Amino acid sequence: MTWPHAEVAGIAALSLRVALLATAVACALGIPVGLWLGTTAFRGRRALLLAVNTLLAVPTVVVGLAIYLLLSRHGPLGGLGLLFTWPAIVVAEVVLAFPIAAALSAAAVQAADPRIHRTALTLGAGPVRAAFAVAREARLALGAAVVVAFARVLSEVGAAMIVGGNIRHQTRTLTTAVALATSQGNFALAIALGLVLLALALTVNALILMLQGRGDV
Amino acid sequence: MFELALVRQAYGGRTVLMLDALRIERDARLAIVGPNGSGKSTLLRLLAFLEAPLGGTIALEGRPVRTARERRRARARVTLVEQRPFLFRGTVLENVAWGLRARGVSAMQAHSRALEALALLHSDALAGRGARALSEGEVQRVAVARGLATAPDALLLDEPASGADRAALHALYAGITAAQARRPMAVCVASHLLEDAYRWADRILALHDGAPSCVTPENLFRVELPGGGPMQTVLLGPLAVDVVTDRAGPATLAIPPDEIVLSAEPLRSSARNAMPGRIVRVAEQGGAVRVTVDGGVELVALITRRSLEELGLTVGAAVYASFKSVAVRVF
Repeated sequence: MTWPHAEVAGIAALSLRVALLATAVACALGIPVGLWLGTTAFRGRRALLLAVNTLLAVPTVVVGLAIYLLLSRHGPLGGLGLLFTWPAIVVAEVVLAFPIAAALSAAAVQAADPRIHRTALTLGAGPVRAAFAVAREARLALGAAVVVAFARVLSEVGAAMIVGGNIRHQTRTLTTAVALATSQGNFALAIALGLVLLALALTVNALILMLQGRGDV
Repeated sequence: MFELALVRQAYGGRTVLMLDALRIERDARLAIVGPNGSGKSTLLRLLAFLEAPLGGTIALEGRPVRTARERRRARARVTLVEQRPFLFRGTVLENVAWGLRARGVSAMQAHSRALEALALLHSDALAGRGARALSEGEVQRVAVARGLATAPDALLLDEPASGADRAALHALYAGITAAQARRPMAVCVASHLLEDAYRWADRILALHDGAPSCVTPENLFRVELPGGGPMQTVLLGPLAVDVVTDRAGPATLAIPPDEIVLSAEPLRSSARNAMPGRIVRVAEQGGAVRVTVDGGVELVALITRRSLEELGLTVGAAVYASFKSVAVRVF
């Protein structure tokens, strides 16, 4: 048994849309937090770094459950009616990818040459511009943070299943489709969907690599 | 410009700097000298407001700089060029314009002022080069130009001699002098390679173990030469020293530790200068020994371990420290 091409294309498109959107939001929130944690000295910074690093290890089904409870009809955000819609998957994936973006970008700027930050400060930069200067010099390591966040989101299945519900034509992503096909014993289809997933990952990573390479001195 | 009072800095519980008082004038040319680990770089980072002292106060133009916010504001007026400066990705011109761009100056104006700063250091030809394609000496000059471009009230240089050859170093000091002629600016240079700094500085702060010392390990003395040389006599504390120089006016005398002979009795020799004193410190340095003799001023002599043992020199022993007039270097 195979699925129509149009259906597979739709699933792939949804996967890509969810992954790109979640990665973008998670990085837009997480990288500034990481830069802040990595370049600013303040009380409680180490505790925050520890918290962010710990969040990296939270199982995806736990995040899925938490978002499910938040979005379910009687939950605090139940009024939004998001549960079992694709934006709910995006929310869950953002929660999963945010710690990756924050922790890896904090590590990236902490590993950067300490002279960068001092030089920016002594040339009169404020904290934001100084952090940006460090980010610019550490852009390769920051790119890695984006790549890892994207990989996590694209390949994630537990949370997508719980908050999306794997509804055909609506919230079925490549990973949840693979899970379904496998549970139905349709291994050929599962493998094919897996290959589509790999191809997507390859394409997006190649694009990120190209972006990074450009503008190199 | 700067007033420091009871400033103390420590890292991990170890005190690295202790200055009871230090004033640096707006047009100062201060050379901070001392061996590695004497606190020079720490002092510069404090003056650059990159870190806060553990104790004491640093005032800028009479206003104490205490909070992070006050330090941030003060940093806009002071700039530090590190020993191995970091240049940002991009061209030399972008680097030199960086501080002005950070102040919101338009790209065009920033670039023209950056070119002026580069010209002061005869480095305008580098403007279009990539920052990562420069020699060590060029990096140093570009970094100084980058600092000067921000029109700082104080320019702090950490070991500018380390990466540059002598000609480049002369060009560097000449550029700084030219910049100071344009507008008043305090310049503080930390160095352990001293000669050029002395020739150029009008004041010397010698640090040892984080505290000011009147004599560096290199036996430096600030003196007023009477003139009328070639042979002149100056007083170092109670010690009258004959030196060979034609110069007159303020100068720095350096007596290299390896040119000083220690003896138990006064020598009948060609050495015109001899100071009786007592040994106050003996420190190993590789195979040699640094012996500090106090005879009203402190002189450090570098002798071999064997000489020390054969002469039976220990702390408290009375000795004569002798050196030839021609061994005294005048800067």
